[in-house]
Amino acid sequence: MTSEAAPLLEIRNLVVEFGRRGKKTRAIDNVSFIVNKGETFGIVGESGSGKTTIGRSIIRLNPTAGGDIIYKGKRINGGLSTAEDKQLTREIQMIFQDPMSSLNERAKVDYLVGEGLYNSGMQKEERRKLVMQSLRDVGLRTEFAGRFPHEFSGGQRQRIGIARCMVMQPELIVADEPISALDVSIRAQVLNLMSRLQRERGLTYIFISHDLSVMRFICDRIACLHKGVVVELADTETLYQNPVHPYTKALLSAIPEPDPDREKNKTLLTYNGNSRGYSKDKLIWSEIEPGHFVNGTAEELAGWVKESPPPSLRA
Amino acid sequence: MDMFARAPYRPEEAEKTADTGYSYWRCTLRIFSKNKVGMFFFVLIVTLLTFTFIQPYLPAQKQALLIYNDDAGKVLRNVSPNDEFWFGTNSIGQDLWSMVWAGTRTSLLIGFAVAVIEALIGITAGVLWGYVRRLDFAFTELYNIVDNIPQTLVLILISYIMRPGVKTIIIALSITGWLLTARFIRNQVVILRDRDYNLASRCLGTPTRRIIMRNLMPYLVSVVAMRMAMAIPLAVSNEVFVTYIGLGLPLSTPSLGNLVNSGIDKIMQAGLRYQLIFPTMVLSLVTISFYIIGNAFADASDPKNHTE
Amino acid sequence: MNKPILSIKNLNVAFNLRGQRLHAIRDVYLDVAPGESLAIVGESGSGKSVLCKSLIGLLDANGTIESGEILYNGRDLTRLKNEKEWLSIRGREIAMVMQDPMTSLNPLMTVGRQIAEAVGLHQGKTGPQARQAAVEYLADVGIDEPERRFKQYPHEFSGGMRQRVVIAIAIACRPKILICDEPTTALDVTVQAQILRLIKDMKAKYGLTTIYVTHDLGVVANVADRIAVMYAGDFVETGLCDEIFYDPRHPYTWALLSSLPQLGVKGHDLYTIEGTPPNLFQPVRGDAFAPRSHYALNIDFEERPPCFAVSETHMARTWLMDPQAPKIQPPEHIRSLRERRGEI
Repeated sequence: MTSEAAPLLEIRNLVVEFGRRGKKTRAIDNVSFIVNKGETFGIVGESGSGKTTIGRSIIRLNPTAGGDIIYKGKRINGGLSTAEDKQLTREIQMIFQDPMSSLNERAKVDYLVGEGLYNSGMQKEERRKLVMQSLRDVGLRTEFAGRFPHEFSGGQRQRIGIARCMVMQPELIVADEPISALDVSIRAQVLNLMSRLQRERGLTYIFISHDLSVMRFICDRIACLHKGVVVELADTETLYQNPVHPYTKALLSAIPEPDPDREKNKTLLTYNGNSRGYSKDKLIWSEIEPGHFVNGTAEELAGWVKESPPPSLRA
Repeated sequence: MDMFARAPYRPEEAEKTADTGYSYWRCTLRIFSKNKVGMFFFVLIVTLLTFTFIQPYLPAQKQALLIYNDDAGKVLRNVSPNDEFWFGTNSIGQDLWSMVWAGTRTSLLIGFAVAVIEALIGITAGVLWGYVRRLDFAFTELYNIVDNIPQTLVLILISYIMRPGVKTIIIALSITGWLLTARFIRNQVVILRDRDYNLASRCLGTPTRRIIMRNLMPYLVSVVAMRMAMAIPLAVSNEVFVTYIGLGLPLSTPSLGNLVNSGIDKIMQAGLRYQLIFPTMVLSLVTISFYIIGNAFADASDPKNHTE
Repeated sequence: MNKPILSIKNLNVAFNLRGQRLHAIRDVYLDVAPGESLAIVGESGSGKSVLCKSLIGLLDANGTIESGEILYNGRDLTRLKNEKEWLSIRGREIAMVMQDPMTSLNPLMTVGRQIAEAVGLHQGKTGPQARQAAVEYLADVGIDEPERRFKQYPHEFSGGMRQRVVIAIAIACRPKILICDEPTTALDVTVQAQILRLIKDMKAKYGLTTIYVTHDLGVVANVADRIAVMYAGDFVETGLCDEIFYDPRHPYTWALLSSLPQLGVKGHDLYTIEGTPPNLFQPVRGDAFAPRSHYALNIDFEERPPCFAVSETHMARTWLMDPQAPKIQPPEHIRSLRERRGEI
């Protein structure tokens, strides 16, 4: 799917490093992708893959060591004026993973949800109205505004976090594992809410998770991240039905099936990235079919494509 | 009603959440009041404090610094406790009862002043130390240097340089005390600052000032209360010590330090021991009470104990 | 069931929280057969962790077992009064693997020493013998280079590795029953699959009875012989794995199965269970799930449903099983799961 309009967000050769001089590790190593307006872009990877780091770099909590993050045509990872910074703070927002630690226990819900509005010099009455509306939008009762977070369940707390984010009327939302800490039966509540808000407000999501089974429903395109490098990027259905990179295949095979017969007879695929013994420079980011990218050396790519040929290349 | 008929689905019923009725301060007070030892000393110290400050206005009180003579004009020195002088008189002829209470007033004033100054400077420094990463290095070095200087030396130095008086003692005691408070606060802040809810506040554009006030301070209550409660008896004891080595308040300003100091000479003479016992008793009561109350309050305000 | 290894009857557990009584486990029955793999499935707050802690004597200080019995090998575990009595059961007979491996391991002791300690306590081996056994257990749980890893500290391991170490310590005690309380909830999906496999292998190798506690029905399909579904401190349905997946009877089980993303259809909203679990500070009237259920009968709000037997191995605590109740079919996607069973 090509878009005539310019992408909302473009990541170009992004590098993020941690550590002190001399002992630096690259958490994100030369990552590039674009995100179009109105879509849900998924980033999937295990712990340590760097997916949270990308999210935090986009929302400017982490400094970057190299590359560009371009939002609406303007570079945002460094050197912004106060006015630009304020504008961006409103437009790009984040949903956090753990509902238990992402809310200030000693503040009431109305302060929590309205926190971002204090900086825009709004009148108290108008702020209150927006907070109440936001609570209603996420399906919470307005009388919850005077209560403290500990009185709510995990799912409700996560919805408070979403209300806090939505009240800013953002355009791009980075959702960092928003449902991983919730019970399976509650995850759907939050996912449905996010979908509905997206349809109503034309939001763009960057959905970060380690669980592919969930991403299938909410994501339009998915990037698969392994140790700071994107190994495969494709439309969701393409990724599920025709994965090419062995790491993607391993992730997919790990998804538990709620079908005892199938589960008990399943073979689990594993991927060991360390078994490759060559320098990273030989990696090519190759578009094996329109919109479907894979990262690998020339020989590897040839081998993988032969093993799982994409539909358009099958004879 | 047919028991086995389908019941209509009501969404409000589904969304009902219990109002657990938990309030942080109410729970803190509840746990504090259940601590019998803490409550005992709390009542004790409140009674003591109230009495200390209303004592001059009660009937039949003598004047503190006044020297009393008997009808013949002879100074009433070293009179044992009797109906007229409830605590007796000291070697100069002053009424020990009113001296003790006047002294307690002064010492407590010093103690409170030091505690408040230490808290204000300590919290400000501690929060900045813990929250602003760039200041961490500078503060830690400062702390390491100052921590190695014995507090007694500083006390002696300042008391020696400046003229003896209440202000001098307050300055001398606060000048080193705030550092320890700052360190306790800094440790707490470092634990809290990287928690998700603070990151969320930064993402929302909340300025540092408000993050400190609304996100961090409420969690510091426990630490601050304990530090303040300890600071008071510590200040009082330090005042006693400084007086003992001759650098304390002048005799014209009654204080527990002066009284204890004068009383120590009399320890060998059985008949005059009361001049040491009374001020020491009051001093001990004050010290123990604040120490116990401080601990009890710190425990009660710790949310981990709120499950009881 | 022939003689069960563990038998819970009429168990009631309550907590004293800020002066109010929280009734966490409400009159629960459960039998565990020797050598089986039982899964207890429930949301947060359903009481499944409280149940595990009761089985191993680790209830919080403000919790009490108000009534009922937990029979293990002829002994009633609710009657054990102090730590000394529990020491003969804990580890040696019933061992537990908990959710967060970082807090289960001592950060100041090498991993090898922690396993050797368990070996020493429960198998009586000491010194080089214990060390050798510990290295074998490390290899058993799938840790490469066990000799080298023996000397490392917990923080040098990843989350999944640490959980393997915790499992090794639990197994080193040679228990009869292994309770796993959400051992993979904090781990990535790939690691989760590996740990599940590991637990299955350990079970087979050491002849364990495993009780696996989780909130994710998807995970359970792989691991369980029998499933017990828990809601608001009570078991609403128990049965063989196949029975629960292909023939569930309680509306809560339907709801749990429906909300699995693997069963959802792209383009439509995912099925969700609206609302929140009930507040157990108040007494529960009737079926606890009734306010959130679309299939509730009037009687579900009045009287607690009795256990109805669907088969010898399958029971459901719902009035829908009563002969007087209208015949209600489970939702579409549940039935389709049954139909899809044919195609492997």
